[in-house]
Amino acid sequence: MEPIIQVHELRKSFKDMEAVKGIHFDVAQGEIFGFLGPNGAGKSTTINMICTMLAPTSGSVTINGYDAFKQKAKVRESIGIIFQENTLDEKLSALENLKLHCRFYRVPKNKRAERIQEVLEIVDLVDNQKKKVEEFSGGMKRRLEIARGLLHYPKVLFLDEPTVGLDPQTRAHIWEYILRLKEKENITIFLTTHYLDEAEISHRIAIMDKGTIIALDTPDRLKQQVGGDVIELGTEDNDAVAAQLQSAMPEAEVKQEADILRIQVPSSDQFISTFLQQIRVPITSLNIRRPTLNDVFLSYTGRDIKAGPA
Amino acid sequence: MEGIFAIWQRDLMKFVRDRPRLLGSFAMPILFLIIFGGGFSGTMENLVMNQTSEIEDFNYLTFIFPGIVAMTLLMTSIFSSLSVIQDKEFGYMKEILVSPVSRVNIAIGKMLGASTVAFMQGVLMFILIPVLGVTYEWSNILAVLPIMFLLSCTLASLGLLIASLLRSTQGFQLIVQVLVFPMVFLSGALFPVTNMPAWMDILVKVNPVTYGVDAMKKVMTGAGDLPVAAQNALGLNLQLFGRTVTVAEELLFLIIFTSILITLATISFRRANA
Ligand SMILES: Nc1ncnc2c1ncn2[C@@H]1O[C@H](COP(=O)(O)OP(=O)(O)O)[C@@H](O)[C@H]1O
Ligand SMILES: [Mg+2]
Repeated sequence: MEPIIQVHELRKSFKDMEAVKGIHFDVAQGEIFGFLGPNGAGKSTTINMICTMLAPTSGSVTINGYDAFKQKAKVRESIGIIFQENTLDEKLSALENLKLHCRFYRVPKNKRAERIQEVLEIVDLVDNQKKKVEEFSGGMKRRLEIARGLLHYPKVLFLDEPTVGLDPQTRAHIWEYILRLKEKENITIFLTTHYLDEAEISHRIAIMDKGTIIALDTPDRLKQQVGGDVIELGTEDNDAVAAQLQSAMPEAEVKQEADILRIQVPSSDQFISTFLQQIRVPITSLNIRRPTLNDVFLSYTGRDIKAGPA
Repeated sequence: MEGIFAIWQRDLMKFVRDRPRLLGSFAMPILFLIIFGGGFSGTMENLVMNQTSEIEDFNYLTFIFPGIVAMTLLMTSIFSSLSVIQDKEFGYMKEILVSPVSRVNIAIGKMLGASTVAFMQGVLMFILIPVLGVTYEWSNILAVLPIMFLLSCTLASLGLLIASLLRSTQGFQLIVQVLVFPMVFLSGALFPVTNMPAWMDILVKVNPVTYGVDAMKKVMTGAGDLPVAAQNALGLNLQLFGRTVTVAEELLFLIIFTSILITLATISFRRANA
């Protein structure tokens, strides 16, 4: 089947600054596709270009078979988008916001009431629909925006940092809704986030940094590429241990962080049985785990994704 | 079409719910009514009566009132266009722009929203008619309504064009201040603008309010039927290229002004989101 989104050599420069540097990817129908990257990576710029809201410097985007720069009205009908910033009319009630949306997208008149209640149910706002949006909490507003984005049954739903600024509990709820929705409607979901745990729900992840996609694969395979295990070791003399480790296990990748050594090894068994017994310096902490997406990012860029206050 | 209607209705709904704005927009016209109606009317009446013997019972207020209503239309339609900038600031404009509603329909919807609000304010001014002790024929009052709406559309399109080019409310207020007052004073709304120096005369003639005010005065007071000498004395002999313009021509000018401004605003909306 033809991919629902095709992005080819997409570029965007703001004055002297190149925010997106020629990226290339496809998204399959029904897929959850995640864009993961630190703040300023170019995620919003990319999403805004794909959604017809920003003219690219060069490149092409096709959505649902339509050219995003030449057939904007067709593309706009095919997509729903939850922008990074709030775009609700807070002076109106939730219901009024949804009704207006139906009219902008020409949802058939006889289906409107039914669909509005349907999306309100998905995001659990049925009882609050008559309230003005300004009385809503941050999480409720976000949920209402998601409901609104679904009203016209888009082929693709774009979510730009849908949970940024929300508390962990609300974030978890929102993802629950998104996944419930995915199951129900089988729409394609394109999301951006700088929270690692959130990217995990994607079928495939594109890791973006400084305007380029540095890796693109399923979360599992991305982590397999990093390979082996990650050991976080704290000792009373990290420098000495690091030096000793380099000579004893040349295959291990060692990085010094604040007060721990992050050691990447093909297998933790060997590390424990051979190396750990040799060191004389007292150990203060030890943590062995499978690689995370942050390790993936780290291995490509040498930096941590600043995951913000999670 | 439904997009136009939705955008238009949203602005109306918000206006009706916003009491302070409803009251606030009355303050300025009433102030001007007091100054020009109360303070100046004696002087103006003598002036006019001395110029012609054809008017016996002249009430200056009767002539100034349509001007004040036009001024209300000007201020309300331009200030209502501010909603475009507020929509940008509060993010709602993105919801509109990312929808399949065509850019020209967005511009028309926004324009109709602002002009309807202005029109309603203008009509509300009519409750002052008995208070002021002036009288108009009912048929003239009805006939002036479409002119008022058309003038509101022209001015709302102007406000919309300005608003579509700006990002901040402050910038808008600044531009409006340097624009609105000259537009009032150089329109004949408050005092005749005949016999102006040449450069000012040009400003008067490119000012759409001039044609709206002239048409409103002629239609509302029935002055179009007065003898030419009387019309001249009242400053109702608006000339363009050496001949007096008719009400029909004035309405045509307003339609042309509106079409040009809406086109420019549409282009500006198209550019705003590529
Ligand atoms: N309108 C703009 N004008 C100038 N620079 C911009 C504009 N929008 C974004 N940028 C810059 O482009 C880069 C990418 O931004 P953005 O796409 O918002 O990143 P992300 O969404 O991944 O955090 C940033 O450095 C940002 O400052
Ligand atoms: Mg962003």
